[in-house]
Amino acid sequence: MKTPVSVLRLPRGPDPNSRGFDPNSARFLALCPTTVSASSAADAHGVALRDEQRARSLLRERFLRSLLAMCGRPVRFSMYEKVQVEAKFGASDIDVLNFQVSDLQTPIGVQKEALLRCPDIITYNFEI
Amino acid sequence: MAMRQTPLTCSGHTRPVVDLAFSGITPYGYFLISACKDGKPMLRQGDTGDWIGTFLGHKGAVWGATLNKEATKAATAAADFTAKVWDAVTGDETLTLAHKHIVKSVHFTQDSNHLLTGGNDKVLRIFDLSKPEADPQEIAGHTSAIKKALWCNNDTQILSAAEDKTVRLWDRSSMETVKTLAFDVAVSSMEYIADGEILVITYGKTIAFYDALSLDLIKTVDAPTSIHSASLHPEKDFFVAGGDDFKLYKYDYSTKEELESYKGHFGPVHCVRFSPDGELYASGSEDGTLRLWQTAVGKTYGLWKCVLPGESPHTSRFVWYIPGNFTVGVDGKQCDVCVRVFLGVT
Repeated sequence: MKTPVSVLRLPRGPDPNSRGFDPNSARFLALCPTTVSASSAADAHGVALRDEQRARSLLRERFLRSLLAMCGRPVRFSMYEKVQVEAKFGASDIDVLNFQVSDLQTPIGVQKEALLRCPDIITYNFEI
Repeated sequence: MAMRQTPLTCSGHTRPVVDLAFSGITPYGYFLISACKDGKPMLRQGDTGDWIGTFLGHKGAVWGATLNKEATKAATAAADFTAKVWDAVTGDETLTLAHKHIVKSVHFTQDSNHLLTGGNDKVLRIFDLSKPEADPQEIAGHTSAIKKALWCNNDTQILSAAEDKTVRLWDRSSMETVKTLAFDVAVSSMEYIADGEILVITYGKTIAFYDALSLDLIKTVDAPTSIHSASLHPEKDFFVAGGDDFKLYKYDYSTKEELESYKGHFGPVHCVRFSPDGELYASGSEDGTLRLWQTAVGKTYGLWKCVLPGESPHTSRFVWYIPGNFTVGVDGKQCDVCVRVFLGVT
């Protein structure tokens, strides 16, 4: 009767809430220098890093608030293939990969409910 | 002490896994990418099977997936008529390469600057990744859908297998066919081993080994079932194969003897590949899972732990495995030795 080989644990499965590629993994930190130079290792604890992080938080918060401000409002989207459409913005998913919209005006009619793929969007405008 | 193989199951895909590929060995270990009909290829740590990320963007089944040697780029081939290139560290999509039909196969050159694609429109395409807007070079000739296309001979030649029951060797500069192999049935899989220039081809119940430069037949081995994929160990002492009967078969390459067969998958095995260090092989199946299998069953490696008789895996002792091949002078043959250092804890 053979003994089965012991296993420390099972392989970790996907995280249901994100697409992965942990930005805090050793590989990511080593291979993906951030676009702002202050984050490079040389100035890890400097004033510049703190300012950069503050700027990042501000920008991120402003972006999230802009999404909130868009809710329920008509938004004009410019997309690839010279597509210009208008729709009432509903919500975004957590990775900002899809926008849920209503009454999407298209050349072939009005789509009551739709999902717009964010990678297909170039710009969008709305009035506050 | 006889040990029974414990495969590690990697779940996450929701449809059949149709292709998988390993990267080379990098300073962060090696990686595995899986192509799935659910359209969401996944990147995993090669030695543990731990999920790292999912490449999101394809709008159809992904039929082929590959990584460059350094695991910094990934490429995928899909039923949405595109091949995509991805940053394998951030998971971001870098390029979308439009095609005229379902794309089945993608392969990087060694310098990762060019991508070879092949699919249902029967044309091989070479994309210059530094000039993505430029039209790809096209090589026509196959009379049916291309299933697999690989760079070989230091990226100077191309090997392609198609539904037209041929495998063709092409010269990259002249874009002409150098040699054609004809079969009675379409080839189900193809693997190219650069070190030693060996080509592993499966068709019907046969696993065939060819010289990749001359396309001369080296040997064939027949399996008990229709084989979908096979892989030769980097040291060329074993090869593994899987197919219709859900099992993984392990053979001795020199003697062609079937050494072991393993049950585990709940559906036909579509793809199987050895890791770059040869310590494990991964299989992808119709059942939507990937499984990792040990080459040397019982050895401590990755998530597998070697347990001595009379010892439970949870004793408070430290067991270290020092990786590598140590030459042991037994009749001049090189044997793998698992070196274990015990720290007694009272």
